[in-house]
Amino acid sequence: MTDKGPLDDPALDLAAEYALGVLSGEDLRRARDLERTNDSFRAEVARWTGRLSPLLTEVGEVPAPVAVWRTIEERIGPAASNDNLIELSRRVARWRAIAGGMTAVAASLAAVLFLTLPPGEPAAPPTRHSTTAPMVAILGGQDTGTKVMASWDPGAQQLVLAVSGDLKGDSGHSHELWVIPRGGKPSSLGTMPTGKQMHMRLAETLARLLENGATIAISVEPRGGSPTGIPTGPVIASGALSQA
Amino acid sequence: MLQIAASPPADFRFLSLIASGMERRMDRMTGELAARGARDELVGMLIAVSNGDRGAFATLYQRTAAKLYGICLRLLSNEAEAQDVLQEAYVTVWRKAHRFDPSKASPITWLAVLARNLAIDRLRRRSLPLEDLEAAANVEAGDPSAFSILTEAEDAERLRRCLEALDGRAQSVIRAAFLDGASYPELADRAGVPLGTMKSWIRRGLQRLRRCLEQ
Repeated sequence: MTDKGPLDDPALDLAAEYALGVLSGEDLRRARDLERTNDSFRAEVARWTGRLSPLLTEVGEVPAPVAVWRTIEERIGPAASNDNLIELSRRVARWRAIAGGMTAVAASLAAVLFLTLPPGEPAAPPTRHSTTAPMVAILGGQDTGTKVMASWDPGAQQLVLAVSGDLKGDSGHSHELWVIPRGGKPSSLGTMPTGKQMHMRLAETLARLLENGATIAISVEPRGGSPTGIPTGPVIASGALSQA
Repeated sequence: MLQIAASPPADFRFLSLIASGMERRMDRMTGELAARGARDELVGMLIAVSNGDRGAFATLYQRTAAKLYGICLRLLSNEAEAQDVLQEAYVTVWRKAHRFDPSKASPITWLAVLARNLAIDRLRRRSLPLEDLEAAANVEAGDPSAFSILTEAEDAERLRRCLEALDGRAQSVIRAAFLDGASYPELADRAGVPLGTMKSWIRRGLQRLRRCLEQ
């Protein structure tokens, strides 16, 4: 449905003018239509935005009034006291979304989870605040169909990953696994071996980062992993760790 | 050994020269490391936000709101509207953080462009008649998913050099357009030239800018 052919000169001009922001009226409407329907036009606008955006570093900072943040908080959903509820409904929605493809994987993972519990106590409910309670994260990609279930056993310092569907990628790239503690920087957990199910034992320093609420993410990196120590490629799946 | 011991002042001068040079280099490196650290943290926050982490979202806001508010205010020259657009920008971030791709843009540039796009959109709507306003409301603005800029400092330096290479007139109208949100008719009005003249100044200026940047 979208055009991909090369742009003629007037269209190239229009893309540059649109990125610069000088258009109004009929020309602006035409540019917006093209942005929606023409891939080459959209790419040209993106190139110009990239070229000009360093100008924005010249603009000075101005502290925003406190009221703005309060309105944003109201607009993004109920206040912090209802966080658990939101988290729960997010989790339910995510579970539903993956229910189809994941049943088998989930069953095998449940088995893994139970196997890692101390023998003789499988029926006891996990202690909510125990730091050794197993945690799970369901890593979903918003624009991809990738689903990965991660289960973390803090006692054994073992992370088990189960992949549903195919992780997008090719032999020139690696998938790198990251943990991002609340409000912290991403730390690499290493590149992922291929396969549908993976077991990783984590070193103590990394293991400490896998706490309730931390984000687990997978990014596509150059072969061998990120050259900079933080994700440099697109994040194809991410999810928050929570107690199982 | 004796000779060296006999001429300490010269050696000291030399050594202190090296030392001050190293200090400058260390300062620069520390600065770059700090910038990278801050950027890494923002990348982490955006990934966590895409995942519904409200704590990360609050920290992201604290770190970046002043920059984005500065941009909105500069473009809109109106506090109420700037605050409105700032709000819109962060609600968009909350909903679309998953569109952020660290291979295409640094987090602060991604956020800045998102805020600018929304502010420009607001500026252009000011002059629209009501029925167009309704149509425009259905157009999704402010989604900078696809542009690509990574090496901030280098890109900023190259852009500065290439802008300076343009003639003064083209340079100032391009800046005014991007940073103040001036449209063609406004720019023509300010300069006291016909609309067609302004268009050809800017088009020619942009073409030369592109050639310079691509060298």
